[in-house]
Amino acid sequence: MRLTLARASLIRHRARTVLAVLGVAVAAAMLLDMVMLATGMRESFRELLVSRGFDIRLAPKGTLPFDTDATIPSVGAVTAVLRSNPDIREISPVLGASIHIPVGPRDVSATILGIDPTVQGDYEFLSGRDVTTPDAMVANDSLIKRLHARIGDTLSVATGYDPQTRTYSGQRKLVLTGRVRFIYGAAEQLSAAVRRETLEDMGDPARRDRASLFMVRVRKGADPDRVRDWIETYIPTVSAISVATAIAQVDQRLSYFRQLAIILGSVSLLVGFLLVTTLVTVSVNERAGEIAVMRAIGVSRTHVVEQIVAEGVVISIVGALLGLALGLVTARYLNGILSTFPGLPMAIDFFLFQPLAAWSALGLLAVSGIAAGIYPAWRAASLPISETLRREAIA
Amino acid sequence: MQQPSPRTIAIDESLAAQAKLKVGDRVTLLARPAAEDYAVMTATPSGYTPSATPPETVIVAAIVRRGADPSQVARGDLLVRMHLDQLQEISGYGDRVDRFAIATKPGLRIGQLLDHINDVAFGFRAYRSHDIAVETSRTFQVVSRFHRAIGVITIVASSVFLLCIMVLKVEERRRDIAALRLMGISRSSIVKSIIVEAALVAVLGSILGVALGWAASLFVNWHYQGLYRTPLEFSIVTPEIVAVAVSLSLFLGAAAGVLASLRLVRTPPLVLLGR
Repeated sequence: MRLTLARASLIRHRARTVLAVLGVAVAAAMLLDMVMLATGMRESFRELLVSRGFDIRLAPKGTLPFDTDATIPSVGAVTAVLRSNPDIREISPVLGASIHIPVGPRDVSATILGIDPTVQGDYEFLSGRDVTTPDAMVANDSLIKRLHARIGDTLSVATGYDPQTRTYSGQRKLVLTGRVRFIYGAAEQLSAAVRRETLEDMGDPARRDRASLFMVRVRKGADPDRVRDWIETYIPTVSAISVATAIAQVDQRLSYFRQLAIILGSVSLLVGFLLVTTLVTVSVNERAGEIAVMRAIGVSRTHVVEQIVAEGVVISIVGALLGLALGLVTARYLNGILSTFPGLPMAIDFFLFQPLAAWSALGLLAVSGIAAGIYPAWRAASLPISETLRREAIA
Repeated sequence: MQQPSPRTIAIDESLAAQAKLKVGDRVTLLARPAAEDYAVMTATPSGYTPSATPPETVIVAAIVRRGADPSQVARGDLLVRMHLDQLQEISGYGDRVDRFAIATKPGLRIGQLLDHINDVAFGFRAYRSHDIAVETSRTFQVVSRFHRAIGVITIVASSVFLLCIMVLKVEERRRDIAALRLMGISRSSIVKSIIVEAALVAVLGSILGVALGWAASLFVNWHYQGLYRTPLEFSIVTPEIVAVAVSLSLFLGAAAGVLASLRLVRTPPLVLLGR
């Protein structure tokens, strides 16, 4: 009965209802996007970090992994120190460098990682053969395409290039053995990987026995933060970064987006609330006589309030559902813009749909819409019946 | 024998705040962490090469504020400014530099100069500062595109909200409009009066909005300049932005007034009165 009356009232003022639903939908879409932005970045980054099961990263003291050209000296000694901790299960040292590959008259530059294929956590293997021999190299699709190369091709790869004299240094013939996808690589990045010893042989002798990064996997049940503290105590040349500290650092760097999301999300919630309040207030004022008649024929005050609140509920719920679809479309568009950030890993999503957070936000909007209707509805239901009827008759 | 007096360095505000340093303090500089040998002695006595770089004591002569460099925002790096030869010595870099900055005479053709330098250069390349600035501010170009997209969504949301409010406000006055029509006031006069009223409300609202926006901009700059310790302006309210905001608001207000009033004046007055 209450829903039927609410439906009739909404249909009678069709244009107004459509506009109100549209208003709530836009506010809901904005709110959803901002919730996705506020929580998505952190969750997406966390998923990326834990995707290969490494709990701690070691970078040169005071830096973030691959943030600078700095390296950690004495790979063997550092590995030995790490192995002395029974909570550490696996260690993967990684050396990063730039390479140059001559293709006809031009030079293709790319980044290269020197890894141990048995414990590497930097790429997903797609096809071909991994770097099982010293002359093997794997590359991502972007680099393979740029080189116009195929699996099995032999390439002349150098770690140094002087553009003035057009001479290469640290040059070596490597066979392209496989296609891989670099997990932490940026979308446009040209990347390859070889065994760490191969890269050391090709590079500057001063960079021998050095690593840009260590990835550490801890024993199941061990506390990564305790292991991190232990590492920083025993190896002072490194900054040990656990998943939690990495997320905190990313949070700090991208705090702007989170704050923007909180501000715009709050504004959206307020706009949705104001819209439903205005609508219900105007609607109630307009129907003061109708409400007085209902009260005069014995309809209870609670019944009247419930009917008016039901109108707010319908607008809020329909608007929120429409906003969900609209929000997902705009989130995809906005994510497309932010994913072009230079150097950002391809797998990072700024807008990540998390059902619990999304439904909580839309639920909050619907609840605020319902709450917005309660006061004007109660005020209308409490109007003196005879006086209101007389005023309406005179009008 | 007289000891040479320590040399001086300048540090940035962030480093001074974090390390609790002030002008006149003495600090020891090392190219590598001092405790590098610690691991050798406590955990693995073999295979670890201790740093041979001797420490150098210097005096903090100045605390400086960083320039407005977009590429440095949010990086959280701590900067020390040293004399060039001092840094070359401590880092073992020798007689090398990362780059030269060249100031040219006014009116000089930069393109020709670049070509000339690159023709004779051996082992380096010259770039126009503007090109480097464009390359290093790519992050900000992405943020700028994101802001524009958010701005468009906000404008759409505001338009729907404004339209909704105007329709409701005009519909609230259906009886007044019916009375005016019964008194013989023409449809066009009623529409015009509603448009003027809507436009006035829009102008007043946009003035309030500009004031709020200006205050929000001051707050945003104060907050982020403090957070990132940079003199960069994060939010700028320009006359063009104010003009666009007021014009848009005026247009939307008037359009909403037209739409809402046309619906009512086309309805017979008695129907509006519910008869």
